[in-house]
Order: sequence, then structure tokens, then C-alpha cells
Amino acid sequence: MRHITLTHCIWTPSTKLISLPESSANSAAQKEAVNAELQELNALHRAVVALDPPNIPPPPLPINPKRSAQITKLRDSANTAFRKSQYPDAVRLYTFAIDMAISRPGWEPVALAREELAGLYGNRAQAQMAQQAWPEGLVDAKCSIDSKPTGNVKAWWRVGKCLAEMSRYDEAKNFLTKGLEIEGRESEGGKELIALLADVDAVLQRS
Amino acid sequence: MVDWLSLAVPLAYLGILIGSLATFSSLYRKRKAQKAFSLEPWFPAHLQRDIYFSLLHIDPSSQNEKKSPAIPESIFKAALLRRAAEDIRRVLTLRSQKQALSTLLQRGSVGDDLWQRFLRAEKEMEEEVKDVVSEANAYVPGWGQTIFQSANEMTNNHIYRQRMNEQQGKLAEERAWWDKKKTSIKESFMKELDEGSETKAAESTPAQSAPAAPASVSDDEAVLVEAENSGNSNVGSPKAQKKKGKGKK
Repeated sequence: MRHITLTHCIWTPSTKLISLPESSANSAAQKEAVNAELQELNALHRAVVALDPPNIPPPPLPINPKRSAQITKLRDSANTAFRKSQYPDAVRLYTFAIDMAISRPGWEPVALAREELAGLYGNRAQAQMAQQAWPEGLVDAKCSIDSKPTGNVKAWWRVGKCLAEMSRYDEAKNFLTKGLEIEGRESEGGKELIALLADVDAVLQRS
Repeated sequence: MVDWLSLAVPLAYLGILIGSLATFSSLYRKRKAQKAFSLEPWFPAHLQRDIYFSLLHIDPSSQNEKKSPAIPESIFKAALLRRAAEDIRRVLTLRSQKQALSTLLQRGSVGDDLWQRFLRAEKEMEEEVKDVVSEANAYVPGWGQTIFQSANEMTNNHIYRQRMNEQQGKLAEERAWWDKKKTSIKESFMKELDEGSETKAAESTPAQSAPAAPASVSDDEAVLVEAENSGNSNVGSPKAQKKKGKGKK
């Protein structure tokens, strides 16, 4: 059967890291691959050590509520800031929440991360748009769509709006038609999508 | 009495027949085994598994030497998780390839070699998965049932994070594009404004200079200055009128 290539690794107790010795007789490309893998391993190891005994990742369900609660708290304070029209503050808080959601340990269900991040990115896009930071809003709204393409009509609208504001009408039209296809014309925000699409079409016809 | 001479011919016949068959079959089998062994593996080297085993192998040597302290068990668990994640990826790849490959094989588009390689990879992955499960159960009883679930989420999360990072990475580009676009829009807008004001100025100068010219015949120099002023900017015109008034007095 297949043979196994043993790599000589060193465990450094002081730094708690596994590493490759300097004088290993591998080719440069191999060394790079092993080093990259070891880096991932060390990152995962830190996450494993942080777990409760017996130090194995729990099954994906049920979810640990601690982090979710923290994220919800951050999002709520960001929402309040947004409502008070303190947009830079809101962006900062949303960014904290996003960082926290994205640094969830990998073994937690991906569906949860997607759901959470779709909302957070969408909200941050809104806060960016309120400050007329269209490119930032566009990127965030796109992330939101990517995280959750269906049932996310607001994010579709935001992408269209940002593109239209930057006078990229063709792209805006593409996104809006796609959004309408996915969300359906009868959906909650469908009317707004149609209205924005009509505006974009009007501009396109004029030029 | 047995006639050995007359039996010798059929015995020799049988002997030669069986002997040649045996040689042929052993040669054939040897060759086949060699061929199977020399088949290229389906996947590249399983780095995560290699590292896992490498880690397992450091342990006894370091204990013998009593120099470096033993590696904590958590790192083995982490390495095993990495290994399981890679296994999941491979199993999924195999599963998605199987359908297409068998269709191609039926049509005769691909050789038997490829199919043999595939089957071998499949079998190997089966063994690999079983091995991971039993290893996991050895660390914590019952972990074997959930390790692949966790590993699956890990791979999916990894893919998702990567995509998000990619998307966010485009921000600088978008920003730069927009800044450029914005300045160009602003410039063209300002140009339009300038053009607008220039035409206004051009319209207003003759209207002002027409009455000014006959009024200030006495001092020609003042009129020249006024005309320049009003040509440069609109702001100049009320001043000019004021001056005109002074000039009259």
C-alpha cells in the first residue's frame, strides 16, 4: 500500500508550537507545504486547548450559546448607534461583531455562521451607505448575498443601490434582475427592487 | 504389469501442460501486481496523515532520550482533526468523480488503468476513514461518531471564510476605482460649471461694456481695467459698475 513520509517535527514546549527543524532535508516547495500545514495545525491546536476537557470538539449541535449572545449584544448596540445616526460608531461595532462571528471555531455549524454574518454584513452595508461610502457598502452587501442568497432581499437592493450610485448601471441591472429572480416579485421587498430597477433602466435608456 | 513406457507419454504431456500453466499464471499474477503497484496514486501525498504519524513517532524517541518533554495529547487530537478534514475532502472528491468516471468508462473514453486507480483510491479512503474513527475512539470514547461531523463543518467553514476574505479583499480595489471615478466625475462637473460661468461671463461682458464705453470716454484706462475684470470673473462686474459711477463724478 501507500508509504508514509515521516517528517521530523519539533515540539517546543515554551511556545506550545510544532515546527519544522531548520536543517530538514526537504525541497523548498515541500518545506513550504509542511510549514503551511503546521501553521494550520498550531492554530487548530490553540482552539482545541481552549476547549473544556476532554478537549475534543463537541458535535456541531447543540450550539454553544455564549458566543452567540455576545454577538447579539454587539449587534444590538450597533443597531442603536445606527438609529441615533452615529454611523461611524455603528460601522465600528458591526465590524467587531463580524470579527467575532468570523472567528467562531471551525467545527461549529457553517449554516449558523452564514446566517449571522449575512445579517451583520447587511447591516454594515447599510451603515456604510448612510455615510455614502458606496464601495464599502457594495462589498459588504455582496458578502451578505454570498452568505445567504435567498430571503435576503434588502442585501440585493443595497448592491443595486450602491452600483447605481457609482453609475455602474449595467452591473446594477444584472444584480437587480438576479435578485428579482431569486426573491420573486411578490416578496416583501420585491416592490423596492422593481422600483430601483425601473430607475436604473430609465438611466440606461437615456444614455 | 504397468507399461511405464506407454504411460510416459501422457504423463509427460500432463506434466508439461500443468507446468506451463503454472508458470504462466504466476508470471501473469506477478506482472499484474507490479502493474497495480506502479499505478500512479489518485491523490497527492496525504500531508495531514503524514504529519499525524510523524507526531506519533516523535513521542517514543523523546521519551527514551528524556530530553524534551512529552507532547500534549491535545496536539494529536488537533492533528487527527486536520486529518479527518482532509479525508472528508477526498471522500467527497471521489464521490463526485465516480459518476462521471463510470460513464466515461462505459463509453470507452478512458482506459481501464484509470478506473483501477480510482477503485484503489476508494478502497484506501475507506480504510483511512475506519482508521481515523478508531483512533478518535481511542482518545475519547464516542468521539469517532462525531469527528467527521466536526471535520465536515470545519471544511465548509474554511471554504466560506476564504470566500468572505476574498470578497473583502476586493475592497481596496473598489475604493481606488471609486476615488478615481469620483475625481473624474468632479472634474467633468467642475469643467461644466466653469464652461457655464464662462459663457455667462461672455454674455455679460458685452452688455456691460456697451453702456460703459460711451459713459467713460473721458478715462480710457479705467474702462480697459474694467473689461479685464469682468472677463475674469462675474464678481468683478458690480465693482466695475461702482467704479463707473466714480468715473462719472
